[in-house]
Amino acid sequence: MANDNTNSKAAAKGSENSEFYKKREKIYPREVHGIFATLRNLAMIALLGIFYVLPWFDYDGHQAILFDLPARKFYIFGWTFWPQDFIYLTALLLIAAYALFFFTTLAGRLWCGYACPQTVWTEIFIWIERKFEGSRQKQMKLDKGPWNAERILRTGGKHAAWLIFSLFTGFTFVGWFTPIDTLYSDIMTGNLSAWGIFWILFYGFATYGFAGLMREQVCIYMCPYARFQSVMFDKDTLLIAYDEERGEPRGARKKGIDAKEAGLGDCVNCGLCVQVCPTGIDIRNGLQYQCIGCAACIDICDEVMEKVNQPKGLVKYTTEHALKGGQTHIMRPRIVVYAALLIIITGALVYSVATRTPLELDILRDRNALYFENDEGLIENVYTLKVINMTNQQQTYKLSVSGLEGLEMKIQSSEITVETGGVAEVPLRLATDPENLKTASSVVNFTIESLTTEGLSLTEPGRFLGPISR
Amino acid sequence: MSSKVTSLGKESEISQFQNLVSIFWPSFLVASLGTILFFAFFDPIELARISGYPETSRLAGYTVGFFFFWILSAVSSGLTYYFRQPCHKPVSQSE
Repeated sequence: MANDNTNSKAAAKGSENSEFYKKREKIYPREVHGIFATLRNLAMIALLGIFYVLPWFDYDGHQAILFDLPARKFYIFGWTFWPQDFIYLTALLLIAAYALFFFTTLAGRLWCGYACPQTVWTEIFIWIERKFEGSRQKQMKLDKGPWNAERILRTGGKHAAWLIFSLFTGFTFVGWFTPIDTLYSDIMTGNLSAWGIFWILFYGFATYGFAGLMREQVCIYMCPYARFQSVMFDKDTLLIAYDEERGEPRGARKKGIDAKEAGLGDCVNCGLCVQVCPTGIDIRNGLQYQCIGCAACIDICDEVMEKVNQPKGLVKYTTEHALKGGQTHIMRPRIVVYAALLIIITGALVYSVATRTPLELDILRDRNALYFENDEGLIENVYTLKVINMTNQQQTYKLSVSGLEGLEMKIQSSEITVETGGVAEVPLRLATDPENLKTASSVVNFTIESLTTEGLSLTEPGRFLGPISR
Repeated sequence: MSSKVTSLGKESEISQFQNLVSIFWPSFLVASLGTILFFAFFDPIELARISGYPETSRLAGYTVGFFFFWILSAVSSGLTYYFRQPCHKPVSQSE
């Protein structure tokens, strides 16, 4: 038990797959308790809580946070975002990218160990696995043993629990993109569309596969962040490291023997840091690409150090500078630049969203004919206007046109009422004497002015086509 | 699974799983991006209407579009994988 390196052997074998087609050997992370384990659990509860609970909250008559794909509207509490607001998504992406660079340069793979959905869901799946199959020891024993009644019940039960939880996760995931209460009632009444069923199963199966079956392989083989995160590291980035100077040479020792006399470092070579590692590495070999920064090795080593009456921190959060005996600089040029960029872009985004005009006017000129001449000898163009009311109340607008002399507007009513979040399609014709047309194509301006909200108006240009001038 | 031989005649360290991932995962990511970009600008209902297809739901449009993009980019990644296989086999390798 002392030097059980099953996990790291498994990880090593998994990567040397060249000769044989061999399934990856399963990694059994040992349960760990400690400060960082508690922090991880808190993060997991908070994040999963948000994920599963938030879709059920309503605001202003709609789901509080809803990226309604069928209706092509995104709701975030009081804000509604339309396809026309797509530019904000690009701003969000920029913010996400710089935030990633910022936090990675500062704190390494903090995201991986504490917040990444893969880690969070794998943790809860491992927790379920422990409930059914027991501790690491018991799991290994069960997997080595025969498929007796106990194993069928335990392993079968685990997979069943996983599948149910995955289905619920799939359902909740879809509920972020179509209203979850409608989704729920559709399921209950058996009215769910085939596509809805498909996506719930798809996400459910993805959850089951990634969190239950593939686990660390997602981090190692699939995650692009894992690949380029080392590019963002510098000598002042927080990372998890084994204090080699203090720990080496490692070795087990009898109680009461003075380690220094025996020429031993603080590391008692218990191998527990390897046992608790979810990716099966040995942190004593140095920082590795597979390390997701979960700090399980820190917690367990601190526990062991306490037992042997040594100070904690043989494995700890530190920086390369600190390890070499220097001083860690938190405020460095890269950090300042990233922070500044983040503040600027976020500020621009917030300002832009706060001051946007909640009104949209689309002018669709009838393309069936360039123009036509009516009974009175006037040149007419046919249009359909789309008026989108992006405010939270019903609006009545007054429509007017300008830009050409003698422009006549033939419309059912120049007062257009649109309910909140609604689109009004308004057909109209513009007519004018051909004498007024200086060119074949003229610009006309359509202005809608809100009668409900003072100061809300919008002018959009459109084209008026006529005969080619003689 | 036969061993993969690189052009130097050595065995590749890339597992079969990693090969599969390299084909289907980047294509998934690219397809997601393509779906988002494309359907942010084009409404599937309008597309169906213009093209004369029977009226169908947006979810159907997004789904079909996404899988179309995924298959397309997976084919591309697959071809990339294929063309990255070494061209020649060492003389010592007999069939």
